[in-house]
Amino acid sequence: MKTLEELNKIKNLVLEMAATIEASLNDSMEALLERDNTLAEKVIEKDKVINSFDVLIDEECIKLIALKQPVASELRFIITAMKITSDMERIGDLCVNICERVLELNKEPELKPYIDLPRMADTVKTMLREVINAFFEKNVELACEVIKKDDIVDYYLNKISDELILFMTKDPNTIYRANKISQIIKYLERIADHCVNIAENVIYLVKGKIIRHTEFPKEVC
Amino acid sequence: MKETIEIEVKNLSFYYNGDIRALKSINLTVYKNLVTALIGPSGCGKTTLLRCFNRMHDLYPKNRYEGEIILNGKNILSQEVDLIELRSKIGMVFQKPTPFPMTIFDNIAYGLRLRGIKNKTELKDRVEQALKSAALFDEVKDKLNVSATELSGGQQQRLVIARALAVEPEILLFDEPTSALDPISTGKIEELLTELKKKVTIIIVTHNMQQAARISDWTGFMMLGELIEYDRTEKIFTAPTKKLTEEYVTGRFG
Repeated sequence: MKTLEELNKIKNLVLEMAATIEASLNDSMEALLERDNTLAEKVIEKDKVINSFDVLIDEECIKLIALKQPVASELRFIITAMKITSDMERIGDLCVNICERVLELNKEPELKPYIDLPRMADTVKTMLREVINAFFEKNVELACEVIKKDDIVDYYLNKISDELILFMTKDPNTIYRANKISQIIKYLERIADHCVNIAENVIYLVKGKIIRHTEFPKEVC
Repeated sequence: MKETIEIEVKNLSFYYNGDIRALKSINLTVYKNLVTALIGPSGCGKTTLLRCFNRMHDLYPKNRYEGEIILNGKNILSQEVDLIELRSKIGMVFQKPTPFPMTIFDNIAYGLRLRGIKNKTELKDRVEQALKSAALFDEVKDKLNVSATELSGGQQQRLVIARALAVEPEILLFDEPTSALDPISTGKIEELLTELKKKVTIIIVTHNMQQAARISDWTGFMMLGELIEYDRTEKIFTAPTKKLTEEYVTGRFG
């Protein structure tokens, strides 16, 4: 079909979108930890850019399907690009949600110094970076690593939740802030889930095998 | 879906003029009431393979086969096979429509008369049935006595299919049946093939990969006389196993 040029165009758009998402996640976490309202507002504003990438990539993919009827690895690449950009767009929305909670939290005094939350955030940031690399390198092994890391994120979610419950039961004055932080860790956990979705799509891209909704893909990873 | 084997090709090699090896140890299973497509670049041997199924190559005495093609438990490459009977079981439709220079009715009745059917009512019924199966009856029912050459290209091709169907074959071979037709007629033939597979097993050679993807259940990719990959069509067009197949279906060569 001689589609290499068009495929490269889509690839570059996905790359730009991924870089924007990664920056949004990093900025969201910095805004939280540094109590930086300006940075939080910047992330919220930047979501429009992410949304426009989502639409643009879909349009390019649809055009390619309609005009070039791609098959085999080219078809899988386009399907994967469309799917992972949806996940990336959702990650962008979740960064916005984090920053909205940051703006609310920053009106209150700090609940406590964060210890596990930065660790959880680092794991999620690593997952996002690795899964993007896995997509561009068509690296199944790296995609599998990302899927495995989801357990670490779940561990932190439970650990921090328990800690927040303890705060709330001890002192009702902490409920408002603890509830906001509780939402933030849930958002982080969802971002990790989207990273897992992307990793599963990378496996589809390379192996041609859909592994979603199955037991952990032992035969692949 | 349970698949029943219709034809088994075992270690088939074919030599033009005694020594030019055009097919190299082909192994392939054709399933009953499904469409099998053969794709590949020009000169890959797909038409040569198709023509083995009804022994068309026997028209030239120096051509020779090695290996077996098993149909209903018998090797159809065996010398004892009655070629007339074989070709009534395995019909063939070519790239360009080949109507006989006679009326629409006689085109279809021709094969039936050869098989000894003389009864006028039976002839009429079977001609009508064949035209209906080829989705042509409604267009020609009022002009059955008109010369077949007056039909459009697409109609002529369906007439040829009706003629092949009239003798109730088990298998129909199609050699690029739509390459000489416009997109509308192509669409009608493709629709017809999808309908016809309920009655017959179809093997089609096509240069149009999208056509293979649209209408076939199994696809074989051939190159330089070898069957490189043979799998379900959806597998060939979404995740082929062989690099050569991948390169061909994505248009990187050929």
